[in-house]
Amino acid sequence: MPVKTWRKPLDADKVKSPKGEVHLIKDRCKGCGYCIEYCPKDVLEESNEINARGIHPPRVIDEKRCALCGFCTAICPDFAIFTTEKNCEGGC
Amino acid sequence: MSENISQIPQKDELRIGVYVCHCGLNIAGTVDCKQVADLASTLPHVVLAKDNRYSCSDQGQELIKKDIREHKLNRVVVASCSPRLHEPTFRRACEEAGLNKYLFEMANIREHCSWVHLYEKEAATEKAKDLVRMAVAKAALLEPEEEMTVPITQKALVLGGGVAGIQAALDLADTGYKVYLVEKDPSIGGRMAQLDKTFPTMDCSICILAPKMSDVGRHPNIGLLTNSDVLEVKGYIGNFKVKVLKKPRYVTKDCSACNDCAIACPVTAPNEFDVGLSTRHAIYTPFAQAVPSTYIIDRDLCLNKENIIVCDKCIKACERKTIDFNMKPETLELDVGTIIVATGADVYDPAKLVNYGYTRYPNVITSLEFERLINAGGPSSGRLIRPSDMQIPDSVAFIQCVGSRSESGNLYCSNVCCMNTIKDSLLIKEHWPDTKIYVYYVDIRAFGKGFEDLYKRARKEGVLFVRGLPTEVVENKKNHDLWLVGENTLLREVYKTKVGMVILSIGIQPRQDSEVIQRLCTLSRTPDGFFMEAHPKLRPVDAPTGGVFLAGCAESPKDIKDSVTQASAAAARAGILMAKGKVTVEAITSKLIPDYCNGCQMCAKVCPFNAITVVPERRKVELIEAACSGCGTCSAECPFNAITMRHFTDAQLLAQIDAATELDADKKIVAFCCNWCAYAGADFAGVSRMQYPTNVRIIRTMCSGRVAPKFVERAFARGAAAVLVAGCHFGDCHYINANYQTQKRVERLWKKMERLGLDKNRLQLAWINASEGERLASKIKEIQSIVGSVNFEEIEKSKKMTERG
Repeated sequence: MPVKTWRKPLDADKVKSPKGEVHLIKDRCKGCGYCIEYCPKDVLEESNEINARGIHPPRVIDEKRCALCGFCTAICPDFAIFTTEKNCEGGC
Repeated sequence: MSENISQIPQKDELRIGVYVCHCGLNIAGTVDCKQVADLASTLPHVVLAKDNRYSCSDQGQELIKKDIREHKLNRVVVASCSPRLHEPTFRRACEEAGLNKYLFEMANIREHCSWVHLYEKEAATEKAKDLVRMAVAKAALLEPEEEMTVPITQKALVLGGGVAGIQAALDLADTGYKVYLVEKDPSIGGRMAQLDKTFPTMDCSICILAPKMSDVGRHPNIGLLTNSDVLEVKGYIGNFKVKVLKKPRYVTKDCSACNDCAIACPVTAPNEFDVGLSTRHAIYTPFAQAVPSTYIIDRDLCLNKENIIVCDKCIKACERKTIDFNMKPETLELDVGTIIVATGADVYDPAKLVNYGYTRYPNVITSLEFERLINAGGPSSGRLIRPSDMQIPDSVAFIQCVGSRSESGNLYCSNVCCMNTIKDSLLIKEHWPDTKIYVYYVDIRAFGKGFEDLYKRARKEGVLFVRGLPTEVVENKKNHDLWLVGENTLLREVYKTKVGMVILSIGIQPRQDSEVIQRLCTLSRTPDGFFMEAHPKLRPVDAPTGGVFLAGCAESPKDIKDSVTQASAAAARAGILMAKGKVTVEAITSKLIPDYCNGCQMCAKVCPFNAITVVPERRKVELIEAACSGCGTCSAECPFNAITMRHFTDAQLLAQIDAATELDADKKIVAFCCNWCAYAGADFAGVSRMQYPTNVRIIRTMCSGRVAPKFVERAFARGAAAVLVAGCHFGDCHYINANYQTQKRVERLWKKMERLGLDKNRLQLAWINASEGERLASKIKEIQSIVGSVNFEEIEKSKKMTERG
């Protein structure tokens, strides 16, 4: 059904999609880049910082995009990234 | 039939009978039929020539049969209407009198003569004489042919799972045939599933449709293929081979539609089924009554790309373990005998009409959005709310003919919008009786059973009908109320009305991807873009291609009742074919003369049907008759005259050219028109009485690809002023792509003409479809101006040059 959808759906405010919070433990990162590469929402990019191991750890571009799939947590070889669900009761 | 052939006197003695039909005054009003018959009687081999009022009547046919027996006629020519109309009638009459039906020839002196030259009686009579001369010349060379019988696969394919497709599939399946129903969306149901109520009875749309949908889902004879596309249709009537791409749903049939997965899914998008007014997840079902009810994953939206599963929330949520990201697309090959095209229609996009402010003003909605809003299962649970503030408006205005009956949209009437609006206005009155309702219209077309009553009821309920569409809709920026400004053409006064909501009654238009279906099933489209039927009155559900039928809005805008009626008709027509179990194929196929063939394989390269194979060890080609569809492009390509087309042989066509150019060749246009498009277009010009110059002589070939360069050269060598080669548009060719060869050949001829110093404008190439009578007429007018500029020297030069060439 080729429908041009331009309106904000009427129930857009009711349909809650979980919002994630991305936590980085920068000094553990060894710069493999898996999290940046595999994030389906492109939340991360390489930063200019230098961590204790002398590499550039990732940086969050836009946390709002995070859909809390948790793949970064699963894929990180160094347990350097994890996500938690944001408490949106007071609005996000 | 072979017995019949042996009964007739053989070649040595040709006995041709010619019948010139008056067709009442349709022909006789313009053409002097007596004169034409007199001329015919002087032509070689003609033993009798008669003119009569109606040749196609029973008496007319009896006369022909009687003459065949009494005068031992072995060729019959009828000069009357188009062979596309009555050739089968006269062929049958010939057969009944023991004459092979391929020994019959027609001269089209109605559509191609009397109707298009209404005011030039003498010239029309001369043209009719020429057309008879050409037909007699061809008839003298006709051969008896035997038709091949092919079995019909007793399975059907239905394209499109809207109400038309559903009805057609159910009817055929109930008759006992296996049916494949292919739908590109995740669920069947189509447009009807989106509607709230139906007019004029105010039935709940999904309530009457859903049982039919589930019937389809569980019918043992129906193979339901949703989320699927047709990739390829090959073959011919009774024997189609169809490739269907079945895209994966990523959810197995065990799905219980519990919705747990959708709740878990973290990504959302607007739901297309609710016209974007509600939200769906990446894993979803478009609506509650969907068939199949199995959920589907939208991989464009899903976080999981290709082979990487990054998000497993739905997998974890699904108790029955039905989610499988490893599903792959499947290509199915189906053998079917008949195809029903019920692909439906799109709706007009009113954003194009800037003055109505759709997409700029939130409270301007379309009638389709209205259906979802008023529907109890819709995004607002049946409350007609203003998208700007979610409040129920106290006044609404309907604007009719949005995108219909206007130069800025589509020219045609969309057929359903008037009644739909009346139904909608009554729905509002039913729920919120105090709502003020204005309907701005051009005409109210309440033409069907029960329609006028509904219209009366709406007026009685207090719906205000105002003649004159608003010129502009203006929004109050603060509260998003809308002002409508226009002229009431009945009261001749300007109105300026404030309403809370505007509903645009949008029209129906052809599917954007109609072209794909058109190409796959070799269909034609009208200038409006809808698929064309074989005959607008007498074969309204047959497509021009044998074995293909049309139903629903794909053919023209229509309401549910008409769609269902047409679908049942299409199913019946397809059933008739399949019940017979076999079909005879016209004996117009190519024939190899092996002695002339030197194995150059030029023919094999141009054959669109791969019907020519090469036998390398013998340096010869072989023709597969069953695969040959009869375009004749091989014959046109062969440099050694090793391939003849049955019923359209070189000799027959050359004889027609010679007869056409016998008198006053230097004033004449010889036109080669393909049977399916250009010739049909010329017929259409006739039916529509489009007038064009009388000096054109149309020769019918099955495909423009049949037109060999030597035919064009012969016409010029005989002194013709101009030649027209006309065929189907690219993509419309009845023989897949044979018309590409036409273009190549004409281009080669143009080059040759330039080299010889001839005016290449004298050879014209045109693509004209069956509905473009106007295009044909104007093309002939255009060539006429070229004819005027061709002088004696030019003609003489081309005579010599082409003879030498």
